[in-house]
Amino acid sequence: MKRVRSFIVSGAGGVGKTTISAGIAAALAAADTEALVLTVDPARRLADALGVDLGNEPVPVPGRPNLWAAMLDVTTSWEAIVHHYAAPDVADRLLVNPFFRAIADRFPAAQAFAAAEQMAEYIESDHWDVVVIDTPPSGGGIDFFLAPGRMGDLIGGRLLMWLTGARLPGRRLLYRITARPMFKLTDAVLGGPLLEDVAEFLLDLRTMYDALSVRSKTIRRHLSRATTIIVTTADPTPMRETRRFFQELQDVDVSPTGVIFNRSLPPSWARAARRPVTGVSDPEVRARVRDNLKRWGGEARRQEDAREELASHHAVPVATIPWLPDAPTTVDELLAMLEAADGLGHLGVGI
Amino acid sequence: MFQGNLIFVSGKGGVGKSAVTAALAILAARDGKRVLALGLTDTAGLAGHLRAERVGYEPTEVRRGLSIASVDRARALDEYLKLQLRVPQAVPTKPLSNALNVLVDTAPGIREIVSIGKPIYEVWRGTWDLVVVDAPPTGQIESYLGAPVTIRELVPAGIVQDQARSLADTLQSPATGLILVSTPSELSVLETIETADRLRMRADVPNPALIANRVFDELGISGEVVEELPDGPARDAALLHEHLYQAQEHWLRELGASVELPFLFGLLTPGEVAARLARVLEETG
Repeated sequence: MKRVRSFIVSGAGGVGKTTISAGIAAALAAADTEALVLTVDPARRLADALGVDLGNEPVPVPGRPNLWAAMLDVTTSWEAIVHHYAAPDVADRLLVNPFFRAIADRFPAAQAFAAAEQMAEYIESDHWDVVVIDTPPSGGGIDFFLAPGRMGDLIGGRLLMWLTGARLPGRRLLYRITARPMFKLTDAVLGGPLLEDVAEFLLDLRTMYDALSVRSKTIRRHLSRATTIIVTTADPTPMRETRRFFQELQDVDVSPTGVIFNRSLPPSWARAARRPVTGVSDPEVRARVRDNLKRWGGEARRQEDAREELASHHAVPVATIPWLPDAPTTVDELLAMLEAADGLGHLGVGI
Repeated sequence: MFQGNLIFVSGKGGVGKSAVTAALAILAARDGKRVLALGLTDTAGLAGHLRAERVGYEPTEVRRGLSIASVDRARALDEYLKLQLRVPQAVPTKPLSNALNVLVDTAPGIREIVSIGKPIYEVWRGTWDLVVVDAPPTGQIESYLGAPVTIRELVPAGIVQDQARSLADTLQSPATGLILVSTPSELSVLETIETADRLRMRADVPNPALIANRVFDELGISGEVVEELPDGPARDAALLHEHLYQAQEHWLRELGASVELPFLFGLLTPGEVAARLARVLEETG
């Protein structure tokens, strides 16, 4: 079996995780490694550049040897999970159940679990040397790491046990005896046989509990072996979320390998902003150029402080990716972005 | 300025919707209104922008005339049962809400209606002149605002039905507003337009108004002059600003926002961001 390297690219929403994930995979593929990136909700033009009709099934990126891409499709993932882990008759019932659709579409842990499950499948397929996982932003990133445990809570939760009246469902009989009066009451309040329908659904879901528990353990093992990279920007809100994220990762025994600061400005701007602008004869142009440099220089200083504070506080290596006016939308632009990055070597992204 | 008493603020993750929510709340409070800022699903962002140390289900005053609260689902459910559905005191609500908790996690519309109910009850209560809601992101906003209608389809009759109708009435009232915040960038603008179009086709939710956030101002020097500048940070910074400005213009036109908020340079804390945005909103009217 190959030693598959996996990267989990994590962080809050809107910081450029998807682009950076794709960039890392593209750079590794260009260095002669079979690399796959799983993207979550990529920009349309980036998705187009990576391949037509992206879904859970990885496709080779046109004109890019060794580079593969996939796009997380939560509903399809869950259909596959149900077909795989539930008995055929249960699977048929579940797939047409409106509650199941609601769970697959909206439960944030369901999206995160789907991403984690896809990651595990790609690693186990032994097809790629490197698997790069862009993660759903829900919960500021932590949902992805909690997903395997949370699915157990949902499916085998105490409330369900109370509702179904048994550790293992002996189907209708048991829950009718213990919880029937409660159903009557709630249904009277709500005006329909809602709770009973939900209980039926949860009973079906519950038949997958044992199989999914075993699966969750395997997924957790894959998560613990992966290189976890946090992407952020130096802006106040992403910084706050990143600090919280570090704390939460500690609670689940994950130590991030490093942090990538996206949209970074050169520290030299901060120093230059304190010197006069030379070589510009028109005084009005000079004044405007100087004012502009001042505000961007101030921004560069603030960014540098934020990076230093985070790096020293959490003792992690920090890499930077320059602020690009346009998000990369082609593989060449992705490669150029990684080329312009600084410090990625310390993060285990040996490119 | 919006004259109603309830505003929902949504947007794609990371565009600054909590900051805009906080800024609107600060501005209204400065106008002398009694304001409640409410976090519907995630209150951490809003709390940071309003410098609230602790946020709970019961409103806490963070400054004169401005309070903050979060929606705790279990508490909201309890309130829904006791006050809104008027479940008799004799009924043991604890096991009942235990049972309903299962529903809240699974049944389409229930979780949303329990959460969306909270800001509406606060409006009904009459304690506030304005309730500003930091609402779920664009991907989920439709299922929250549309929850009363979903419930009416799901539950054939009874007090839940009646309750859902009252909630829907408030959501459709002209005194209820919806703001979608977007940055002038591809992902955010496309998602915002798509969401706005879908919401405008529905009669049961307020028509969204659009706010562009983090908009760069014009550099005031022509592109050719920038190109001619001597090499160095001054030129690089001018080039970056010019490029960012050019790149955003296309998406700003696509978005067609009614209000534009500037990119803020050199701010350190979420509290400063919200305070500055409030001042900008005040100046632009």
